[in-house]
Amino acid sequence: MSIMEYNGGAVVAMVGKNCVAIACDKRLGVQAMTISTEFKKTFQATPKTYIGLPGLATDVQTLAEKFRFKVNMYRLKEEREIEPRTLAHLVSSTLYERRFGPWFVEPVIAGLDKENRPFICSTDLIGCINFAKDFVVSGTTSNQLYGMCESLWEPDLEPEDLFETISQSLMNAVDRDCLSGWGAEVTVITPDKIITRTLKSRQD
Amino acid sequence: MSGLKPGEVNLGTSIMAVQFEGGVIIGADSRTTTGSYIANRVTDKLTEVHDTIYCCRSGSAADTQAVADIVHYYLQMYTVQNGKPTVPLAASLFQELCYQNKDSLSAGIIVGGWDKVNGGSVWNIPLGGSLHRQPFAIGGSGSTYIYGYCDAKYRDGMNQEECIEFVKNSLALAMSRDGSSGGVIRMAIITEKGVERIFVPGDKLPVHWEG
Repeated sequence: MSIMEYNGGAVVAMVGKNCVAIACDKRLGVQAMTISTEFKKTFQATPKTYIGLPGLATDVQTLAEKFRFKVNMYRLKEEREIEPRTLAHLVSSTLYERRFGPWFVEPVIAGLDKENRPFICSTDLIGCINFAKDFVVSGTTSNQLYGMCESLWEPDLEPEDLFETISQSLMNAVDRDCLSGWGAEVTVITPDKIITRTLKSRQD
Repeated sequence: MSGLKPGEVNLGTSIMAVQFEGGVIIGADSRTTTGSYIANRVTDKLTEVHDTIYCCRSGSAADTQAVADIVHYYLQMYTVQNGKPTVPLAASLFQELCYQNKDSLSAGIIVGGWDKVNGGSVWNIPLGGSLHRQPFAIGGSGSTYIYGYCDAKYRDGMNQEECIEFVKNSLALAMSRDGSSGGVIRMAIITEKGVERIFVPGDKLPVHWEG
């Protein structure tokens, strides 16, 4: 029994034309038993950046709060919002600080920088950053997500099409993972607005 | 999560059988897992061992398939030599295999069927190889979530339609809570006339409170 598979969960982020999308499932389980279907794993860091945190649920909650604190402190000191690339490095150093007793999460970051250029990346549980141009995946469903994203993603998708693509990638991937699913939430970030939609999915 | 060897395929499962006047209803989910990967999402866990005798399989897929194949063989030999077997006979064969090999097997089996002597009957054979005749039986990892529901909903003397609804609702609840159960619901109605299969796809599952 792996500690990363104790609670289950899946997060994926994708780049589109002048937009990004991030999506997560909503299951919280204790090994095979599902105890909640309202446990979202994506959190808003700034008006234009989201962070997804799949992994051990207690660390998901703790790190969401730690990053909220760090982002707030950054805003107070710098008098501006943190850029996505900078947040990625902040996440990386926070995780590496615990190199020999790590946080059991593998974060995903998605956002638009100050010139509204799309940015996504993921890190492993000790802070190694993977800067991707297309999509990033994380959680117990990562293998299935790689397969779905690799087949469905194409460059320069408009926001509505990106929404469809990321939704289908997530829904069909989690249907092959017994530790993820039970609902999904998809957020599309564009220069003018952020739209968050909840998806109805198989409840098994 | 259970006594399976590394790489072995698990019938996580929710299975159920209910006796009614004239026969039995048996039902199962359709998920087979290897670790957390769903290896088969449309598995058939209701296996024929004779014309009107079926078993519901839970535990190790390999162990239960092997045991069911052996019982099927024995019942074929019995039929040519002695005529149609009874359900308790089939259950006894399952019990012998499960009890004598209890150290090597991971198999939870429910036998359900119809015969001329007993009518419909349900026989539960949990992990250790004990044998229990019950008016209804539930098994598999998902069954733990529906003991209370089944105890509250079951009534003696239900007819065929009521039994089908009972099985469908119980399995849907188990599939919703148990990660190792899911997919579709397969049911079989076993009576004197033979076996009629029912299939409930994922989007037609009864929906309960989902938070």
